[in-house]
Amino acid sequence: MVNVEEIRGYAAGLLEKGEVKSVLGFRRGSASAFAEPCTLIEASDAASLVWDPTCLNNLALYLVKDRKQQAVSKTPDTRPVGIVAKGCDSRAIGVLLQENYFKREDVVVIGVSCEGTGVVDPRKLSAKLKGRTASRVTFDGADGINVSVYGDGTETVIPAREVLADRCLECRAATPTLNDVVFGETVEARGYNEPFHAAKEAEKVSEDERWANWEHHFDRCLRCFACRAVCPMCYCPECVVDSTTFVVTLGTSAEEKANRIRWCERSANTSESAVYHLTRAIHLAGRCIDCGECERVCPVNIPLRLLNTKLEKEAFEMFEYQAGHDIEQASLLSSFRDEDPNSFIR
Amino acid sequence: MSNPSKTTEVQTFEPRIVAFLCKWCSSAGSDLAGVSRIQYSANATPITIPCSGSVSPMYILSAFNKGADGVLISGCHPGDCHYMEGNYLARRKLYLVKELLQFIGLESERFRMSWVSAAEGVKFAEVVDEFVEDLRVLGPQNRLKAER
Repeated sequence: MVNVEEIRGYAAGLLEKGEVKSVLGFRRGSASAFAEPCTLIEASDAASLVWDPTCLNNLALYLVKDRKQQAVSKTPDTRPVGIVAKGCDSRAIGVLLQENYFKREDVVVIGVSCEGTGVVDPRKLSAKLKGRTASRVTFDGADGINVSVYGDGTETVIPAREVLADRCLECRAATPTLNDVVFGETVEARGYNEPFHAAKEAEKVSEDERWANWEHHFDRCLRCFACRAVCPMCYCPECVVDSTTFVVTLGTSAEEKANRIRWCERSANTSESAVYHLTRAIHLAGRCIDCGECERVCPVNIPLRLLNTKLEKEAFEMFEYQAGHDIEQASLLSSFRDEDPNSFIR
Repeated sequence: MSNPSKTTEVQTFEPRIVAFLCKWCSSAGSDLAGVSRIQYSANATPITIPCSGSVSPMYILSAFNKGADGVLISGCHPGDCHYMEGNYLARRKLYLVKELLQFIGLESERFRMSWVSAAEGVKFAEVVDEFVEDLRVLGPQNRLKAER
């Protein structure tokens, strides 16, 4: 079991010595049982850190935000940032390091192993509780998650398999491989589901059914771009499908406006949303580390993770490439091997 | 009964193919097919690109979005790239695009890749003919096409 006091102590130590300017972690949130991300500045704040199955967020996102802030700050604080990282978060940091988004010495990774479980899926949990709100969610031994339900004070034990997020069921590396310190036992595969289980299931249905499903999903998309906002890999200052830096001024000619390249329209219809999501999936090929955040934040429940894990699966099976496992390796799309598949080409 | 101004014959479906051809090989290959007077389907709209490695997946999605029935990408044979490794990079990238398009349920026959050298005018004609035949069976592409 991960002892949260150890994490607090380590974070407080870092802050006290001034080795880091801040520590990114989780604290008890104001909305029911779920933890919320927080930035600790003072060592005395470290007592508010928590670790339980509701620590859903991928905190690597805030490293990206910090980096962006530093870039525009006149007096940037160049000290490193500490970050409480699960297995998936540490892979995200790995990819960012591989892409030289920041340097290794800019980050202190406080690794926390998810051990036998992972994080809960809020949708699965609320379905299990049938409308009641959980007030506390804890790990409970090998195959149960303990849930205290708000109001009547009862405790329910739900098997982890039924409430864990899909990505946690398929997780192949629950222990942060990139770390400065790890709390908790080293656990790799956990055997709930085989890797890429959901993507493999989605592949099994016929072509027409697949399209019927995806048409339904793309049709629902609101183009709120929450998936992009929450993704630590979507750090481009300007997105190719949603250019915001084209500033229309009095001097902009009609021709310039007309000739501006629009790869896809901003209107939320099926075809344009399809272009957006497919482009995003391709841009994340070999970079997505399967933190499942895009799927979690989607207000209309589009299974976005499937698109990304499908490409992750192909990268793993065809090119033996795993994102975020080795910060020295060349990226998926900037490298090749002679034995790459060639049979699909005439 | 019938309006004489309307043609009674059924309008046949002519597939539209957007062909991205490498400037150093396939583009010259298609040229050779032309100057050799090889008869082949005129359904492909060629777009010359500097290298098959320069194809952005956006080109493909955009072509389908704008109503292409099929997209063909043709480059130099492995080992023959003018830029040494562009076609190897293209192979990896476009493999992923192909898999992704199949995954969301676009007919797998609609996206095709070929290696055609500057000397293979006959092969180019064959590739286009074959593609057109397959697309005729499939009918128009409406899945990714924008409604406008």
